[in-house]
Amino acid sequence: MEGGGDSFGSSTAPLAWHDFLERMRQPSAAEFVKSIKSFIVTFSNRAPDPEKDSAAVQEFLENMEGAFRAHTPWAGSSEEELESAGEGLEKYVMTKLFNRVFASVPEDVKSDEELFEKMSLLQQFIRPENLDIKPEYQNETSWLLAQKELQKINMYKAPRDKLACVLNCCKVINNLLLNASVVSNENPPGADEFLPVLIYVTIKANPPQLHSNLLYIQRYRRQTRLVSEAQYFFTNILSAESFIWNIDGESLSMNELDFQRKMDSARERLLGLSADSENQDNQANLDAQDRKSENLKANRNSDARLSMKDHVQGSGQDMRRDSDVTVDGKPVERVQSISDIEKKGAAELLNDDELNKKFQEYPFLFARAGDLTIADVESLLNSYKQLVLRYVALAQGMGVSPETTLAQSSQPPSDLVGSEEPENVNDNEKSEGISKTSDDVISENDRPEALDIKTSEKMTQKTAVDPNDDLEALKDEAPCQPENA
Amino acid sequence: MGCSSSVPARSTGGLNTINSDASSATDSKELRAKLVLLGDSGVGKSCIVLRFVRGQFDPTSKVTVGASFLSQTLALEDSTIVKFEIWDTAGQERYAALAPLYYRGAAAAIVVYDITSPESFSKAQYWVKELQKHGSPGIVMVLVGNKADLHENRSVSLQDAKEYAEKNNMFFIETSAKTADNINQLFEEIAKRLPRPTES
Repeated sequence: MEGGGDSFGSSTAPLAWHDFLERMRQPSAAEFVKSIKSFIVTFSNRAPDPEKDSAAVQEFLENMEGAFRAHTPWAGSSEEELESAGEGLEKYVMTKLFNRVFASVPEDVKSDEELFEKMSLLQQFIRPENLDIKPEYQNETSWLLAQKELQKINMYKAPRDKLACVLNCCKVINNLLLNASVVSNENPPGADEFLPVLIYVTIKANPPQLHSNLLYIQRYRRQTRLVSEAQYFFTNILSAESFIWNIDGESLSMNELDFQRKMDSARERLLGLSADSENQDNQANLDAQDRKSENLKANRNSDARLSMKDHVQGSGQDMRRDSDVTVDGKPVERVQSISDIEKKGAAELLNDDELNKKFQEYPFLFARAGDLTIADVESLLNSYKQLVLRYVALAQGMGVSPETTLAQSSQPPSDLVGSEEPENVNDNEKSEGISKTSDDVISENDRPEALDIKTSEKMTQKTAVDPNDDLEALKDEAPCQPENA
Repeated sequence: MGCSSSVPARSTGGLNTINSDASSATDSKELRAKLVLLGDSGVGKSCIVLRFVRGQFDPTSKVTVGASFLSQTLALEDSTIVKFEIWDTAGQERYAALAPLYYRGAAAAIVVYDITSPESFSKAQYWVKELQKHGSPGIVMVLVGNKADLHENRSVSLQDAKEYAEKNNMFFIETSAKTADNINQLFEEIAKRLPRPTES
C-alpha cells in the first residue's frame, strides 16, 4: 500500500527493528533505556484505566521521539531513521505493556465474549447476498485467504503488527475484488463492494478478542502513524465491528422472525456441541488418568498424552462461552465441527491400546527442544508444512473454517510441552517464563509481511514469535520487567 | 456505469505519513484534506474519484488496487498544494448508520446522485441533512449530479438540484465520470473552498 501504507511497509522492517535494538545497546543510549524502563515500571504499577493509559503511552512515545531527534545515537539521523526509531520504541514499549493493557478491564473482556458469540452464530447462516455482495464478486474460497490474515491478529503484541494483519486482510480483499472486476468487466471496486466483503470475512474469521484488539490498536498505535490509508482501512474494520454488533433481521434483509429463528438454531447447535464436548472432555480426562497408572510407562508417551489432553480441553473452551445460557439438553441437529471431530478422535485414541504404534511415524512428537539438532529443522519444517496443508485441506473438505488451535499449537516447542494453557497465545508469562529456546535471529521474522497474494502458502508457515527475547541488553540493566510488577 | 475499466493510477505520494504531518506545519502552502464521498450505491462515487486521479496523474506512477481509498495532489493557481485523501463509503441503505465513522474529521464531503435516478437524489438530500447535523463544523459540502452523459434519461432536473444546493449553501455541479466532464472543475472548486491555515 502507499500513502499511509508507505510508512507502514518500510519503517519497521526487520532490519529497522534490529537497528533499533542495536542502537539501544550503545552506551550513549543509556539515558533512553533508563527513561523507558522507568516509564514501564511506573505504568505497570498503576491500576488499569484505558483512557489514561492510552494518553500516557501516546504522550511518552511523543516525548521520546522528540528526544531521539536531539540526542545520540540518533542525532543527525534522517527522518526515515527517526521514524523507524519511533516504530521500534512503540513496539518495545507495547510488547512490555501488553499484558497490562490488553483487555485489561472487565467491560472489554465481556464485549469480546459477546462479539465472539454473535459472530459464531452469524457465521453459520449468513450469506453474501445478505450483505449486498454482488454475485460477480462472490468468492468464498478466496476469501479464506483474507480470513487467514485477520486470524493472525492474536499472534502479535505490537500495535503496528496487529494493524498490519487488518491491512493485509483488506489488501487481499481489494486484490480479489479487483481481479473479479476485471474478469466480469465491471468498474473498479469501491467501498460499495469492499465493505460488505470485509464484514463477511470478519464474521467468518471470527478472531477471538477482536473487540479488544481493535481498541488496543486505536489506543496504542501512535496517533501520528494511524493516518491516511491505514486509518481508512482501520475505520473500515471498526465500522464492520459496529455493523456486526447491530446486526438484526433488517440489516440482513431478513424477516425479523426468520432471523431470530436462525440465531436460535445456530445457538442450539453450538450448545449441543458444547454440552456434548464437555462430556467428552471429562470422559477423556478420566480415561487418561486411569490409563496413566496402567500401561503407558515411558515418560515421553505421557508427555504426548498430556499435551493432547490439554489440546482437547483447550478447544472445548471456546464453545463453553455459551454455557451461561441455560442448557436444556435438547437433542439438536448435529453439525460436526472440526473440533468436534477432533475431540471424538482424541477420546478414542486415549482408549486405544495401540496408542504407541499410532504415533510411531511422527518422530518429533515425543521430542524435547533439547533433543533437536539443526539438521532436524528442515525435516521438522517439512512435516509441519505437510501437516498444515493437510489440516487446512481437510477443513476445507469438511466445509468448515480451520480453527486457530493448530496455529497456536504450532508455537515454539517449549509451549507444547511446558504450557498449561495452549489456547492462550497472548499469555506473556509463557514466553517470558519459559527457558528461551528461540534466539534473537528468529525475531527478524516476527512482523506480518507486506502482503503478496502468492504468499498464501507462506501464511501457513508463519509462527508467532515474541520480540521480548531481543532485548537482553535492556533487560540486563535493572530488575524492571513489567511482568514482575 | 460511466467509468472506464482500465486500472487506475494514483499518486505515489512519497510522503511518509509522519513527514507529511510534520511538514504541513512548516509549509503553509501544503494542505492535507480528508474528503468523504457519500451517495447511493451505483451512482458512480468511486468512478468520479478514479477519473480525477487517473486523469491528473503521471501514468508511470504506481498502480494501486481498489478505489475505496485514493489520494491525489492538486496544485492551485495561488500555488497552494492540496493533498486530497479521498474516503469512499458504502452507499447501500443497510450501511447508512456507519457513515459518521467515515465523515468524522472530514474537511469536505461530496454528495453524489445519479441524474437518471430520483431515489438517489432523495438519498443525497438525506446525506446533506446528516452532514448539517453531524458533520464537522465548516465542512465544505458539494452536491454532484453524476452520469450527465445520460441526459436523455434524465429524471432529476438541473433546476431542482440547483435550487436545492443554493438553499443549503452548497456548490453544485453535474459531472460525467465517463466523459470526464467537469471532474477537474469539481475538485478544483473544493480545493478553493477549503479553509486556509490562518497563520502566515
